[in-house]
Formats: sequence, structure tokens, C-alpha cells
Amino acid sequence: MKKFLAGLILTLISIQAVAEVRVVATVPNMGMLARAVGGDAVSVTVLAPPDRDAHYLEARPSMMSALRRADIVVAVGAELEVGWLPAALQGAHNPRVQPGRSGYFEGAAHTSLIQVGGAADRAQGDVHPAGNPHYYFDPERMAEIGYALASRLGELDSDNADQYRANAEEFAQQAEDQVAEWKSRVDDPPGVVFYHKDADYLAKLLDADILGYLEPLPGIPPTASHLRELVGSLRGTDGVILYTDFQSSSGADFLARELGWSAHQLPNQIAIDGSVDDYFSMIERWVEAIVR
Amino acid sequence: MKSVMLLALGGVLMAGIAVADEPTLGDLLRKIEALEERDQQRQEQIDRLERELAAERETEERPAESEERPGEPTEQPERPPATATTGPQTDPLDPTPARMRAAGSTGEVTSGTAFNPAISVILDGTYAHFSDDLDDPPGFDFGHGHGHGGHGHGIEEGLNLREAELTLSGSVDPYFDMMVMAAISDSNIELEEAFITTRALPAGTQIKAGKFFSDVGYINKQHIHDWQFVDQPWMRELMFGDEGLNEVGVQASWLLPTDTYTRLGFEVLEGTSSGIANFEGDGRHELVTVLPGDDNEPQRNRWRADKNLTDTNGPRLFTGFAKWAPDLGFDHAIQLGASGGYSRVWQNETGHSSGRLETWDGDSRFVGADLVYKYGRGGLMGHGNFVLQAEYVYRELDVEYQSRQFSDFSTLALTGPSDDPDQRDQRWKQDAFYLQGVYGFAPRWNAGLRMDGVGLTNRTFDDGTDDLGRRGMRGDLGASWRYSSQVTFAPTEFSRLRGQVSYIDLDDGHDGWQFMLQYNMSLGVHGAHAF
Repeated sequence: MKKFLAGLILTLISIQAVAEVRVVATVPNMGMLARAVGGDAVSVTVLAPPDRDAHYLEARPSMMSALRRADIVVAVGAELEVGWLPAALQGAHNPRVQPGRSGYFEGAAHTSLIQVGGAADRAQGDVHPAGNPHYYFDPERMAEIGYALASRLGELDSDNADQYRANAEEFAQQAEDQVAEWKSRVDDPPGVVFYHKDADYLAKLLDADILGYLEPLPGIPPTASHLRELVGSLRGTDGVILYTDFQSSSGADFLARELGWSAHQLPNQIAIDGSVDDYFSMIERWVEAIVR
Repeated sequence: MKSVMLLALGGVLMAGIAVADEPTLGDLLRKIEALEERDQQRQEQIDRLERELAAERETEERPAESEERPGEPTEQPERPPATATTGPQTDPLDPTPARMRAAGSTGEVTSGTAFNPAISVILDGTYAHFSDDLDDPPGFDFGHGHGHGGHGHGIEEGLNLREAELTLSGSVDPYFDMMVMAAISDSNIELEEAFITTRALPAGTQIKAGKFFSDVGYINKQHIHDWQFVDQPWMRELMFGDEGLNEVGVQASWLLPTDTYTRLGFEVLEGTSSGIANFEGDGRHELVTVLPGDDNEPQRNRWRADKNLTDTNGPRLFTGFAKWAPDLGFDHAIQLGASGGYSRVWQNETGHSSGRLETWDGDSRFVGADLVYKYGRGGLMGHGNFVLQAEYVYRELDVEYQSRQFSDFSTLALTGPSDDPDQRDQRWKQDAFYLQGVYGFAPRWNAGLRMDGVGLTNRTFDDGTDDLGRRGMRGDLGASWRYSSQVTFAPTEFSRLRGQVSYIDLDDGHDGWQFMLQYNMSLGVHGAHAF
């Protein structure tokens, strides 16, 4: 009897030790953070590929079966995934990851967002009254979220809580060093024009002025009249145009031609299984484009 | 066993010591010293906490946009777990406790107000012009509600406000979600859907109860807003009902814990949908005539007799479905489905002014298959996306036919041929399918083609008379076809403008064109679309 009990306990302990926390991240950048904080103790599945606009995805059955088996979902939040994540969660039949439970984690809730508030009026375009959800352009905010994620993972898996915290600290240190290095390179940066209000966090970090957006309103593709207006107001000034790989280049090219500026099309998400280094080099490309 | 005894012994001994001890002066002095020490420690602790609190306030007072550095937070950014959880909870039979996380730490950021349900209003308007007034496809006018009273999805000529759909949804408590969808027209309000779903059942199971669109097939549970064409496929309308299979009932479904999406479910439904579970119930057939009497005075007569239809309490309709979707990566998605159902009752009646009453009373069953394929490369606003969907449904009505005529004021007597028992059994066999493809040919624009076919199998029974004056004879009809094309402009995900042209080719030799325009807008919290 004693032997059997001891055996059972040992078996349970070993199962515990082997079981990874199954993390489902909505976008690759959040997957990177989950891997950075979770290390070997977590397995990470990413729902959206890097070359998609996370605003406009559709819930798919494969998302539901991934969420069905998840212990925790790590989302960007601030309504970025509002068009598909709620439906995927609804279809996942998994109480653990429903909003309000320990297994539902929105990064946006654990950092300070910019552009909070504003009218919840869609005449202003596809607005996010909860704040700008593209905070992954700011490594320091990601580090802040990393701490919160470490603590949440620690709730789910107390055995590795210390490791999660140590990992989060390591990521935060790297982020701090990187940002300091970038800042040291930037002196009186030129103004920037973005396609969408996405890299605003980076502009803020580098103290670069945002001179305009190619979209007349968030979620509305560039129009000829809006571009002409931009050209009119920016002619004679110096700046750089930045947009992401899933945004159309025609507006940016037009503006670059008219103003004699350079335009850069850059990714805003890393590869599905991208590392922390990939993440920093992705941001670095934006920094370099601004600094030149 | 030995250790238990030792523990018990120890407990008894300690209790004995506590009672036996008499305090001495030395003891009391030591106790006072200890108390003083503790007091000082507490004071230090209070001072430290006050300092921390002040520091925290300072941090909070900084504006949200400040370039705040995360630094090395000394306190946990989140509250510690209320219960000691050890490791990931992998046992599906022991899900997360239903208790919500403490307020303020739930971790979601939305612009919705705290306790109000999410509200949205969808407005759908159409303009239609038909080249000819066409009937329903031959064989399918039977059991299909005409007049489209109230809130029907049938398109009518001219300008129409098809519906203003008000949706309220939210979480009831940790265990249930609720959704209520009411279609408002200028004369009435009709519940389109109103149901609760469970949110805490273990092992991938979920229960839904209320009035809802059945999960059979693919398009059945979609709302007008989700349709890719102005009108619904004939299949949904003619095989199930004007609003598809929309019933009061209960659904249980199970999502398997597999890599491949597999969902199984069954539904127990009241059974009222005209196409598959038409229900009349018992009662009397009444007819009032005003005919010249004996002295040529108008005489009012009331004819009344039992309809001879059985009365069966619900639930009468039972359905099941299976959906399977392999993971094909990020660009492709495919879902295959199979469904079927059985209705204990299928009844219909037609009264004629001649005093004749026709009744059909029996049961029915259906099977269906569906396929959806979606392709998306992530082009700008739907550019390059392609959706292919196809569905097929086969239906059998197994009914007893009676044609009866008032023989006196209170008796309905069988007329030919249903006075011959061999002629009373009717087994209707019909089917329908559609195939459609929609392609995003530019950002915000898509165009689609759809083919509707009904009655590829179309074994029906005629309620007219044949050459020999017999009624209810079997008539094998042919297929009717509809070809539709649409172009949609969706300025944002909240609005769409659509034009559609359809050509209809009915089995009875009639054909015609339909031209339609549609606007569909949604206001408020716009729910995410299911696959």
C-alpha cells in the first residue's frame, strides 16, 4: 500500500514537472514575449501570421481547436483583436481562457496606453477608445507586460514562478539597454509620416514628431484628396514615411515622390517563432529608417 | 498507524502542560519585554508601509502618457493568487474554479460600460425589381408559408426596410452568456434569437438553450448581415422555412480535444419550422357559408368537424451535426459538415371554399452536407480573399393524405382517391443545393456567383385532380434553377452596399430576372463573426 502511494505521488509529481503551460498568443510579438518569459516551461502557439493586419482577421476553426487546449491566451488587447478573438473564444468551449479568468491575459491591461479616450464615434474611423493597441513598438512597455505575464504564469504554474520572474527581469534588462542604445543614436530625429496610428509608440520613444498619417481616418485607406492635403502641408519640410508590409505602398510612394522623402515598408510583427533578438532587430529597422 | 498514535499522545501532553503552568513574576516581565519589542516592530512596519504608499501615489499621479519606465517593480504587479494553484490545470474534468478574478484585476480593456450588455443595431434595406411575378419553384410551394407576414426574409419589389435588428449580449454570471436579438419592423417586434450559452462546462462541452438558429449546415445559423448575397439560398428557405431552421430548444455540443477541429452536437427542438416540422395540431375545421335558403332568403350555415390531425406536444424535432476542419495553415481554411434530423410530426392542411379539406399528417427526416473553403493572403481589406461554399439537403416527408368533404354540417367524409387506403400514403422526396464563390477583387470590394438548384429529386403529390378526377396523385416534378451574381462594396467592416442580379428558371417553364440593391449597416458593438 505504502509503495503504491509513494509511486502514485511520484508519478503525479513527474506529470506536473513534464506538463508545459500551453500558451496561445494572438500575434507573433506576443508569442515572443510569452516565450521570453515562459522559457522552457511553456509551449506557445500563435494564431495570426506576421504579415496580416490583426484588425481584419477572421475567426477560424484551427484557432478554436488551439484555444480549446490552451491554459492561457495572451492577447494584445485594447480591442485590436475584437473582430475575431471573441468568436474564436466562444467557439473554443474552454472555460479556462474566457475573459475574466486567470487564463485570459490582455497585455494592454498591464501597461499605460497612449491616445486613451476620445469619442467612441466611428465617424472618426475605426477608433480604439481604450487606447492605441500597438504598444509592441515600445520594448519597455513590453517589458512591463512581461512582468505581469510572469506573475500570471506563476499563478498557473507556481513551481516555475521564480523562473518566470527571472526571465521577465532579463527581458526587461535587454529592453532597457536596447532603448538606451537607440536613444543615444537619435539626435533631433526627422518628422515621420505613418500609414496608420501604429508606430506612434516608437515615435514617442525616440521623440520624433508625427507629421501625419496616410490614412485620412483610422481604417480608411488613403484617398487622393487626403494625400494632396498632406503634400500641401508638408512641402518644403523634411521627414520620412514608414508603413508596414500589409499596407499598400501606392500612397506612400506618391507622397515620397511629391516631397522627395524616403519611404520604407517594414514588418511590424516578427516571424511566428521569432526570438527576442528578432524582435529587437525588427524595431531596430524602424529606428534606423528614422535615424538614417 | 504508529505515527497517528504518537501525534495524539503529543497533543494530550501539550494540553496538560498549558493547564499545569502557573505564571511567575519572571515570566510576566519577560512577556512585557516581548510585547514592547513587538510594538516597536509594528511601528517600523507602519512607517515602511506609509513610505511605500506615498511612493506609489507619486507614480500614479503621473499622466498616462508619461514616459514611465517599468524599472524594477518591487511589488508584484498583480495580486497574488487567491487560491494556491499548482501547475497548469490539465484535467478537463476539473476546470478553473468558476469564481471570477477580483474586480480590477480581470485584465481586459474595453470601451464598453461595465455592466451594460453589448448593444448593436443592424439596419438592412433593399430595393428590388422583378421582370415577372414568379411563383415558388414547383413542388416547393407546399408547406412554405406564403404572405411572409411580419418579419420574413423574402424580398419584395420596391423599396423595403427588411429589418432593424437590435442585439443585446453579455455575460449573465460566471456560468452563462446571453444574447437577445430582436427584429423590429414598423408593426411588430419579433424575437429572432434569444438564448443562453454555458461558459464554464468542462471537457469542451457547451449547452445552448432558447430560441436560436440551428447549427445544421453552414448558412443556416447566419444572419442577413453575414450573407454574401442579398437573399438567402433557396435551400435554406425552401427546405427549412423562411427563416431557415430557427426553433425553440436546447443544443448540446462537444469540441473534441484534438489538433483537428472536430465539433459534434445534437439539438432537441420544439418543431415548428414549415419545411421540415410543420405543425398544425388538432382542432376543428370550420367553414361558414351564406347560401340561398328554402325561400331564397340568404341563410348562414356553420360547418364544423374534427380535422383528424394528431396533437403531439414538443419537442418534436431532433437534429444532429458534425463539423470537421483540418488545420491548413494561415492562408487556407476548410470546414466539412454533415447534419441530419428527424421530426416526429409533419402536418399540413388546406381548406377549400367548396367545403373540401385536405390534410397531411406524418413525420419527416432530412440529411445534409456542407463545405466551406476560405482563402486569404492577408491583402488589404479583403483584397484577394476567396470563399467557396456549397451545401446540399435531402428531405423526406412520410405522410398520410386525406381529402375530405363536408357531407353534413358536422361530418367530413373521405373523397377519392383517399377513400382508398392505398392512395393515402405519400412519401415526398425532395432536395436542394447551392454553390457559391465570392472573390475580393479589390480592397473593400468583392463579387460573387451563386447557383441554386432545387428539386433534383422532386417526388411530390398533386393536390389537383388528374384526368380520371382523382386527387393526391403522385407527380414527379423536375428541377428549378436560379443563377445570381453580386457586387459588394464594404467601405468599412461596419457597412456594405450590394447589387445583385438573378435569373430564375422554373421547372414549370416560367423564367424571369430579379434586380436588387441592398445596404446593410451595423451600429455599436459589432460582434465578431464566427467562421
